[in-house]
Amino acid sequence: MLRTLHGPTRGLPGSPPSPGRRPCALLLGLLILATQGRLIEAGTPASLDALYADPHQPDIAGLWLVTGYFTLSPDRALPSLKPPYDALYAKRMKALNAGAPIDDVTANCLPPGMPHIMVVPYPFEIVQTPGRVLFLFEYAGQLRRIYLDGRRPTEDDDPAYYGFSTGHWEGDTLVVETSRIRADTQGDFTGLPHSDALVITERLHRVDHDTLEDELTLTDPKAYARPFRVTRRYQLHPTWTIGEYVCEENNRNAIGANGVTGFGVPPPADR
Amino acid sequence: MTSWAKVRTSLAAGLVSLGLGAPAWAHHSFVMFDRQRPLVLEGTVLQFEWTNPHVWIEMTGPDGRGGRAEWGVECTSVNMLKRQGWHHGSLHQGDRVKLLVYPLRDGSRGGQLAKLLDINGRPANLVSYR
Repeated sequence: MLRTLHGPTRGLPGSPPSPGRRPCALLLGLLILATQGRLIEAGTPASLDALYADPHQPDIAGLWLVTGYFTLSPDRALPSLKPPYDALYAKRMKALNAGAPIDDVTANCLPPGMPHIMVVPYPFEIVQTPGRVLFLFEYAGQLRRIYLDGRRPTEDDDPAYYGFSTGHWEGDTLVVETSRIRADTQGDFTGLPHSDALVITERLHRVDHDTLEDELTLTDPKAYARPFRVTRRYQLHPTWTIGEYVCEENNRNAIGANGVTGFGVPPPADR
Repeated sequence: MTSWAKVRTSLAAGLVSLGLGAPAWAHHSFVMFDRQRPLVLEGTVLQFEWTNPHVWIEMTGPDGRGGRAEWGVECTSVNMLKRQGWHHGSLHQGDRVKLLVYPLRDGSRGGQLAKLLDINGRPANLVSYR
């Protein structure tokens, strides 16, 4: 059944309308609606997850939440930083320890980017579809696209918060390489720095049904003396639904003129 | 922040031993809050803001001089609170509440919610640790 569903979905909503294919698309749409209805009736959220998996890939689809500390390394290990990144990080750590964080880039609602997004304390949903694996983050509605269709980044791909990610399967492990990451993203809330040369290799696999593991290797010849490896685990939450999260709705933590993360009071009109 | 008088954080609070697990780090660094000195804050809800990136409880609390003044208490996100049993009507203006709060290190009248302990004299058990 799933195979039938997933084969032809390229012609469904999201594709440019093609007059000749409309009746076919309509029929398929009804088929999918009917099937979803039956699965919902059948009841288990796990069967709904299966709708968003790709039968041609090992299944890592589902709603996952990081476990452990929200620093990049679960045991708070750090890469060996080269100058001037060591001094920059020392300055940020001094401010953190004084309770007045500086360079807290996400406090103004900018995206955390890679690799910080992989350790935020909110869930993400993995969706698998032919040629793509998508990470849909609850945090500020962020998105990672992993291309499995053979394309490679080019010089025209500007550095981005989430870089450019390509992937392939090695057995049941999804191997992802991410490059062209902006130099101003951070490793985690402590402000762990990197350079524009950072390349992240991830090996993602399901340790058991409820546990996803991501082994991240950060290679950055400009900022790190040697590659830095961390392993993170994520817990499956099959009954959860991703909610909306608009950071700009009521952000009272904007960075002040002194560069320190704020803690604001509501404007007088709100009182 | 500038309009908030400083409060001696020792005034309101008894130290409470907690086992709430890993600290919450959301869209900003939470090192501004002192997790080593949680305090019990009692007062009246002025406004319950069911918003992202954080839910806020505006309430009255001690002003440090024997009187009352407004406090701001930051919770986690709407979605994470919902997963812990909260909803948009969990608190209303005028509710008398007792909270466990990690206070701001700089002594301003504010903090991060650890747990809602009591609403209008009835025990509550609503946490906010992720």
